[in-house]
Amino acid sequence: MTDDGLDPVIHVPARLRIVVTLATLGEGDDLAFTRLQDMIGLTPGNLITHLRKLEEAGYVRTRKSGSGVTARTGVALTLSGRSALERYSATVRQLLDSASPQ
Amino acid sequence: MNEEAEMDARNAAVIMQEARKRAESQLQVRHPALFAALGAVYLFGFGAIWLSVRGQRPYQGPSSAALAPITVVGTLAVIVIAIAVGRATSGVSGASARRRRLQLGSLILGYAGVFALEGGLNAAGASRPVLGVFGAAAPILITGLVLAASSAVSLDRPVFGVGLWLMIVAAVGAYAGPVGVWAVGALAGGLALLLMAAASLVRRPA
Repeated sequence: MTDDGLDPVIHVPARLRIVVTLATLGEGDDLAFTRLQDMIGLTPGNLITHLRKLEEAGYVRTRKSGSGVTARTGVALTLSGRSALERYSATVRQLLDSASPQ
Repeated sequence: MNEEAEMDARNAAVIMQEARKRAESQLQVRHPALFAALGAVYLFGFGAIWLSVRGQRPYQGPSSAALAPITVVGTLAVIVIAIAVGRATSGVSGASARRRRLQLGSLILGYAGVFALEGGLNAAGASRPVLGVFGAAAPILITGLVLAASSAVSLDRPVFGVGLWLMIVAAVGAYAGPVGVWAVGALAGGLALLLMAAASLVRRPA
């Protein structure tokens, strides 16, 4: 955790955007790597690096299917990732509340 | 922004809000497009049919020429809806894609059922006015039912509201008779949907 109690895996702008974007998908859905890349605006290499960190933490899962021109990599938020985002959002709200003048 | 830069809680909140807004606007089917396409079918398609049958005594049904506008507008509506759905769902795979296929299948089967029932009613000796009421009201009812049922799964209230409204229009329109039902469909169905499309466009976040 950071000094503020925020999850360091999520507390990076690019990873935060990735996790929030994936959280808008319905349960049981995944998003193609290329579409996620378009939406987040990262290079493939950067996106892979961030996804690897999220995957190591168990927050996202990637699944490859097809081959050749039909090859597709789907990315989805896991239940653990969804819970982590909820905890992160709650901590951010608490920090903002405690910082705002009474 | 530097991707590894320090960010405080305020930055994080802004990033979360922006990312959520952007993702929702890109991954959800645009209501204005859906409502406007359906509204145009009812307003112009049903409106043209109403214009062709409004003086009929006794009721004979729409002429072939009067069916041309609904065919053209219906085809355009299918294209617009397909583009809107395709844009929003491109790259999304899983349960929602399967749900969409089932919804589309239900709608197609529903319309096929209407034609089959109309044939059955005709074979059973139903009069032209009865066939006219059924032919106009039943497709509106089917569309409303499928929209309401499918939106219940995703808790999409605007679409549920449109589905409910179309079911009411179908039921009320049936009492307006074989001529009036087309007018009710065009005005209560078409105009209301176009107004809802405009309202969703205004409410839509930038």
